Amino acid sequence: MSVVVIIVVIVVVAVVLGLGLRSRTANDGVDSFRRQIDALSPEARKPTIDQVKSAERLDDDDRADGDDSAP
Amino acid sequence: MARDLAIDLGTANTLVYMKGRGIVLNEPSVIALNRQTGEVLATGREAWQMIGRTPGYIVAVRPLRGGAITDFEITERMIRLLLQRVGVSRFTRPKVVICVPSAITEVERRAVTDAARRAGAADANLIEQPMAAAIGADLPIDEPVGNMVIDIGGGTSETAVISLGGIVALEAVRVGSFDIDAAIQNYVRREHGIAIGERTAEEIKVAIGSADPTHDENQAEVRGRDLMTGLPKTVLLTPEEVRFAIEDVISSIVSSVIRCLSKAPPELSQDFLVRGMYLVGGGGLLRGLAERIERETEVPVKMSNVPLEAVVLGAGHVIEHYEALKGMFMGARR
Repeated sequence: MSVVVIIVVIVVVAVVLGLGLRSRTANDGVDSFRRQIDALSPEARKPTIDQVKSAERLDDDDRADGDDSAP
Repeated sequence: MARDLAIDLGTANTLVYMKGRGIVLNEPSVIALNRQTGEVLATGREAWQMIGRTPGYIVAVRPLRGGAITDFEITERMIRLLLQRVGVSRFTRPKVVICVPSAITEVERRAVTDAARRAGAADANLIEQPMAAAIGADLPIDEPVGNMVIDIGGGTSETAVISLGGIVALEAVRVGSFDIDAAIQNYVRREHGIAIGERTAEEIKVAIGSADPTHDENQAEVRGRDLMTGLPKTVLLTPEEVRFAIEDVISSIVSSVIRCLSKAPPELSQDFLVRGMYLVGGGGLLRGLAERIERETEVPVKMSNVPLEAVVLGAGHVIEHYEALKGMFMGARR
């Protein structure tokens, strides 16, 4: 009798764990896709683009300063 | 702690983006070596200036051709020197994302990642150039709309349709702006009987080269070595002659764009008519090329605001959002 109870408990735990893992895997796919799309949005890309634009502006200013000092 | 890096390892130029800093290096992909000892003498711009002008014991080479590594050992040394120049040492090993042509083989792919790891990278991942270009050109690839990008590099030309962060259709040919230079070199040799160098051919392309007739058509004086007499000689070259010389290369690029358009699903095809296609890469700067593609495809062609930096900017964005975007690496989806 006790053996049957143990087996039933093991099966129930396994089923619960399996279902939990399955739903987590499904959610993982949705979450990672969402994260990827969010990271590709114009708002997310703005800091990268702005960073390079500001570096270019600094370079241009440096070059202009250099030209001013040229004879 | 090393800052992670994104590298656009191009046939013509190599650009490096450092996380949190932006583009920290932009140099020609050239290395000069002592032929006898194998010692590296110069890299980047300095080595580029040596092309075709070196004494016998020095050789200035481009270790990448057609977007592929032609000399693994030299490429590895070049990557190691590049990483050293941006502050990577044996104690600071950054994660590296490298942009490569989408058509590279499994062997070439492994060669690039191995070269980066041996050169000091803790982890090296690859991303397709058109995908990086689309991110860097600020196209709305996060939306379910058709975005088309044409990336014309030194050794490869790639056209991709991108929607929802993934490549829908792709067409690549191992033809680029170096093939345009080679076509000019061959034409001048064949028709005018003079030999010119790689750099002179590039200067001709920049000065009077075009894919379609333009408003200002000027002739160019070309100096080279007479093949018959061996003496220096000057000839005049017209833009029509250059167009004729490079026609095969241009046709090949335009045909690949048309093939890519024909592969796109109809729902996305209609988006191109409204949104147009985006041209990036140094080869895209050839005068009249956008007009020629537009004329042959009947789809508007727009030039990216950052044609030369789009690819490394895109890869830089991936390195800034490494965890969220690591699913975009080559091999991650397969």
